[in-house]
Formats: sequence, structure tokens, C-alpha cells
Amino acid sequence: MNIIEIKDLKKDYPLGNTIVPALRGVDLSVAEGDFMSIIGPSGSGKTTLLNVIGCIDFATHGSVKVGGLEITALDDRRVTDIRLHKIGFIFQTFNLIPVLNVIENIEFPLLLMKRTAAEARKRASQLAEEVGLNDHVRHRPAELSGGQRQRVAIARALVTNPDIVLADEPTANLDSVTGASILELMKRMNEIEKTTFIFSTHDANVLKYARRIVKIKDGLIEGAPAAA
Amino acid sequence: MLLIRLSMRNLLRQKRRNLLLGSAIAIGVAILVVSNSFSNGISDIMFNRIMRYVTGHVAVRFNERGGVMREIFRDRARALELIKGDPVIEEADEGVAMFTRAIGNGRSENIILIGVDTRKGLSAEGQREVEKSFRLVEGAWKDVEDLSIENPVIVSVEKARGLNVKMHDTLRVRFRNMFGQDQAVRLTVVGLMKNDNIFMQPAVFLEQARAKEIFGYRPWETGSLSLKIRDPQKNAAALADRLHDKFKPGTAFINASVHGLGGRRSVTVLGFRSDEDSRKKITGMLKLASGSLEKAFRKDGLILPAGLARNLGVTAGDRITLRYERKFEKSPKEAAYTVSAVCASGDYPGASVILMSDPAFYDLYYGDLPAAAGQAYAGDKLGGWSGLVSPEWVLLKRTYNTDDYKKKYQEISQNKWKATTIDVSTMYETASDILKLEYVLKLITISAVLVLFFIILLGVVNTLRMTIRERTREIGTVRAIGMQRSEVRDMFILETFFLTLFASAAGILLGFAVMGGLTLVPITMQDNPLGMLLVEGRLYFLPTFAGIAGNVLLIIAIAVATAWFPARRAAGLSPAKALGHFG
Repeated sequence: MNIIEIKDLKKDYPLGNTIVPALRGVDLSVAEGDFMSIIGPSGSGKTTLLNVIGCIDFATHGSVKVGGLEITALDDRRVTDIRLHKIGFIFQTFNLIPVLNVIENIEFPLLLMKRTAAEARKRASQLAEEVGLNDHVRHRPAELSGGQRQRVAIARALVTNPDIVLADEPTANLDSVTGASILELMKRMNEIEKTTFIFSTHDANVLKYARRIVKIKDGLIEGAPAAA
Repeated sequence: MLLIRLSMRNLLRQKRRNLLLGSAIAIGVAILVVSNSFSNGISDIMFNRIMRYVTGHVAVRFNERGGVMREIFRDRARALELIKGDPVIEEADEGVAMFTRAIGNGRSENIILIGVDTRKGLSAEGQREVEKSFRLVEGAWKDVEDLSIENPVIVSVEKARGLNVKMHDTLRVRFRNMFGQDQAVRLTVVGLMKNDNIFMQPAVFLEQARAKEIFGYRPWETGSLSLKIRDPQKNAAALADRLHDKFKPGTAFINASVHGLGGRRSVTVLGFRSDEDSRKKITGMLKLASGSLEKAFRKDGLILPAGLARNLGVTAGDRITLRYERKFEKSPKEAAYTVSAVCASGDYPGASVILMSDPAFYDLYYGDLPAAAGQAYAGDKLGGWSGLVSPEWVLLKRTYNTDDYKKKYQEISQNKWKATTIDVSTMYETASDILKLEYVLKLITISAVLVLFFIILLGVVNTLRMTIRERTREIGTVRAIGMQRSEVRDMFILETFFLTLFASAAGILLGFAVMGGLTLVPITMQDNPLGMLLVEGRLYFLPTFAGIAGNVLLIIAIAVATAWFPARRAAGLSPAKALGHFG
């Protein structure tokens, strides 16, 4: 069953007096539980595609269904709800909340979902243990290494049991060893939690972790190579 | 809870910036607390230390025959009964006072000789207030009650200096009493007081019973009533309106027996108005058997109905004697009058009614109130005479500002009133110039504070804009994670709220410290009108919980309203743009 279905997706950005087409008619389906990589050079439209799938940006044209729901027709409140309940995000620059410690960062989405503090803390602790940050739960992001921060981001993305986790170049700011460990972790979490993972990269070394690779260039999908 | 936690932590994130802004708000709040307390202090001085003693918060003035120098009401108990029971009245003082010139040792000064009721039971608070307002430097209040001393008085230090008198010296005063008789009295200084109220510096206090005696009042008479009331700014006008209703006059009448040449009869004496309009109406209503209306309209005019004249065996030009029981004295009153006219027919107010021209009637009535004074007139229906017979007094219309009040008194001075006029007024009418000073001071304070807060609010907006700019990516992150727009907006508003709240708390403490410091500084301002703004030679602050809470709420409300727009803009950011990702 496809968790994401995109048809003829176009996204334009205004730049001064001109319009820059970032996506020029993308068709894409993603199966539930997939571990998929979107690859392409800088400016090819990877992030835009992830943003549209993640409901943090809107399509200029076309249809985007996430979990069977046509998101292009929804208002901001509903779309925000979908982001909170169905989607997890992992950012290249980690994007942790600096004033919260590790456990507070992880439990943050659960508190937005109005779960009780005890319930949120229990689930966050479980995730912190799974990503190997048991000993650092009281540390603030500034006190962690890049790899540790990305682990926190992964735990935060997974804490709500989302249908999809979107990771935009999750290893770009990490050294190769740490990057590999992060990808191993994502893959493990994909296997444990059965969550669909879609991550963008332009690093060829990362591709070996993907079960499916989608190549994008100049806003168009070039082909869909078989899963690794 | 999550938003509160985030807001509080974010506040600590930009310590220096928030500390600076918080300090500015705290200083602003401190200034507001100080200025507000100063302003309240001035109000307190104005209302409770100046107006209260100068005019009273609400005053009921009685002017016999409209004469401003003849402040007298002949039934003290009735006047007090009419004001009794109103819940806002805290104290009622009889205003027994006389402007006069006093001669001391080689010097003379104008003074106001005031009768004070030292025997009146005051509450502990009231006692404290009086002692605060009139601080005795020498002597004791009880000394004015000493019967062994010739008219003992307490004089202000300033006045004593002006008159060159000290303790136990004698002052001589000469004045015209309530009834126009010249009087000379010796007063003995038994106390020297210091008061901050510049308006009360000419005051010389004499025991009230002695003052009344000297001024010509009888024990059952009173001067004007000065009322001290609760929450005067709020209650004064409404109380004056209520009292105005209570002081509506009835018909003045005297139940008497009349003795003529041929016998004695029971009658009711009514006064009739002798002004031009009333004369015309009366002329049209009566047909005379003898005498003339011209004589009847004179000051001592008297009209009898034909039947009564016949029974008494009198006609116009004959003498009759009236006799009636008095309200406050045991022996009856007797007075003789010449009949001016006998009415044969027409619209007459009653077969046993004697009509008396109002000057003569009020002389008799006020001079010796009849036993039934204060009761409702129970005679025949007055019909067309209802507007022509004399009322107990003339109740002046209520006015609500100084201009109307002045006009009212100009009219009084132009009118030849025969009856006592009663005026119920508030301090807003009688002393608006003093109250205007308070208003101006408040206005200056508010203007300064508004300018200050405008500057501070610019700071709030700027700080918030900088914060939002710096945290744009963070806004994108929380929005991407699933925080609603309204929650982002509330997060920034809460930050401003807490910053303002803590800064306000600090500002209140700072304000109290400043006030404490300022009240330690003694200020000498002798003979300067601004000295009235001081209490015991120091600045006077009166902070109130409601005032401070109101100020803090106002500041928080303004700060939150100011934060609303940048916060809403932050909340409206597109998550993708906020995260700063393209292509």
C-alpha cells in the first residue's frame, strides 16, 4: 500500500520578477515501510520535494496524497496536525530547541499532542535509550556532539510513532563514521518501528543504505532504480 | 505548561537584552508607582485634609433671607435627622464660623473663628486624622473646654506669629454677629497648632458651644453642615442629589390662637409671597370687604377672611394678637399685628386661615419656630394658593459645576429672598479650583508616564523583532514539528508577559524604595502654597493596592498588545521559509 502518492507535482518560487520552477511535474509513489533515498545535485529539488511531502510547503500544481489524504486542499491547522501526528522530521542542521535538554527535546512533539507529562516522559526515555543517549538526557544541545544531536533529532522524529520520517541530508553535517552510524540507526529504527523513511542526499556513500533510490534533476525524477 | 516553560527558558536565553529591557520597564513601573502614589497622596490631602475641613465633601448651606453672612438653620435636630442614616456619610460637622479681624500684640490679622466640637466622639482613625491635620505644638485640645479661661482658643503657629501672640496671650476680635449686632470678644490662646493645610492657617478654634453663643446661635440652631463621606470622588454628587430630595420643603404654617376685639379663635397662619408675580395673582383672586391689598403687600401685611374678622370683631386697621406654642421654648409666643385687609369673597385658602406677608411671616416663624414646625400642613387644600403660600424654606437647584454654582449665587444676591435658602453642594462645585490643581497634577503625571511608556514599548517591539529574526529557524522547526500558529504566537506573547510581570514586580519594589527614601527628606516650604502638598514637612505618598495592580495590569496589557503584532507575524511565517531551505 502506498503511503505517499504524488501526481504531476509542480512547485514554483518567485525570485524578484521571475519565477523559478523547483519541481516541474513530479510523479512519485512511496510504499508503507519503505526506506527510500532521494538523490540529486544541489538545487535539483530534493528539499522542495521533501518539504511538500512533509506539508511544510505547498505545491503550485498537482496532487499530493499523504496517508490517503489530499493535503493540497487542507488549511494550515489541518496540515499542521498532519505534520504533528503523521510525519517526523530530521534536519541537516539538527534543529534542536536550544533551551530544552535532550529528553525535553524528544518529548516536545508529544506535549504538543497534549499527552500527559508522565506519558511523554516515559516514551521519550524509551526513545533516548533506543538511540543510545541514556546518559545524556539532561544535556542541552550545545553540550552534545553533532552525532549525538542528530540522534536526538531522530528520537524526536520517531517519538510520535509517525507514518513517515523525512530526513533532509541527515549526514551532511557529520563526519563519515558518525554519518554511517546515523544511517545505521535510521535503518534499525525503520526495521523496529516499521516507519517509512525518506531521506535526501547527494552523498553516494549513503545510497547503499537505501532500499529504494529516486533520482531527481532539474525538478524532474529521472528514474526509479531498484531498491538496493 | 509547555509554552510557559519554553517562554521562561527563552527569557533567560537573552539575559543581557532582557535584563536591559526589563530594567527599563521596572524603572517605568517604579516611576508610575511613585507618581501614582504621589497623585493619590495629593488626592488624599485635597479630599481628606483640605476639602474636608474647608467645605466638607458635601455641604448643606442654610442662608436665612438669602444672606450669605447669615448661615443659620433654626432646627438643628431636624437638619441632622434629614441627613441621618445615609451609609456614605462618615461624619457631619456643624459649620459654625465667622470671618473677623483679630488684634494681637501690636499687630492685627484676618482670622476665621471656627467652633469645634471637641466633645464629639471620634473613632481612633478620625482622631488620628485630626491630630495629623492639626498638630498641636503647645497646649491640648481639651483646653478649649476649660470654663475657667475666657474664651480659650487654639491658633496656628503662623497666625500666632502674625499676631505676635504666644500661649496665654489675649486676642481681641470685633465682628458682626448672625443678626447684625456688633460684638467684641476677648480670646485666650491656650494652644498653638501646626497644620500643613494652607487654607486652614487663618483658623482659630474655639469650643463650639461658646462659638455658637458668641455668634448669636441658640442651642437648637445650627450653621451649615459639612459632611465627610466615604469615597468622596465617587459618592459626593449622588449623596448631594439624595440630600437635595430630602430637603424638599413643605408649607410653612403656624397653628395659633388669635385674639381680637370680640373674642378668641383658633387659626392657621400662612405666609404669602409678596413678589411682583405673586401680588398680581393674589390681586386677581381676592375681593376685599375692607382695607387694601396695597397695605396687605407691605412687610407687615395681614389678610383675614370676612367670617373670621366678624367672629373676632375686627376690620381693617384693627389690632389682633397671635399666640402660639413654640417648638424649643416652653412659654408661648405672642405678637400683635394690624389687619391690612379683610377678604369678602373669592379664592381664599381657608375660613380659619390668616394670610401674612412673607417678610413678617418669616420673622415670626424663624424667630420662634411653632411647635408643629416640620409636620405636614393639614389644612384645607390650597388649590390656586399652593404656589403662593410661603414654603418652609427655598431649596436651591442642584448644580454640578463651578460656573453654574457661581451663577446660582449671583442670582441669590440679586434676589430679595424672604425665606431661608438651602443649598446642597459638593466640593466639585465649591472648590473646583483646588480640585483642578489635583487634576492638572494627575494629567502631568499621566502625560510623563505615557511618554515614558511609549519609549519602553518601542523597546519591547524592537526587542521582539530582533528575537523573532534570530529565532526564525527555530520558529520553522517548531512549526515543522507540529506547533500551531496560535501556539507560536502565544509563546512570544507569554515571553513578553513574563518579562513585563517580573519587571513590574521589580519596579514596584524599586518604587517603594524610592518613596521610602523621598519621605525621609524634610522639605521646608513655609508660606508657599505648594506647602499644602506636604504632610509633616515631607512628601506624602499614598500607594493603593488597586492603583498599583491597575498600573501593572495596564502595563502588561499594553506590552502584550504591543507584542501581539510581531508575535502574529512570527506565527504567520511559512515553515519552509523559516527553515531557510530552498531547492
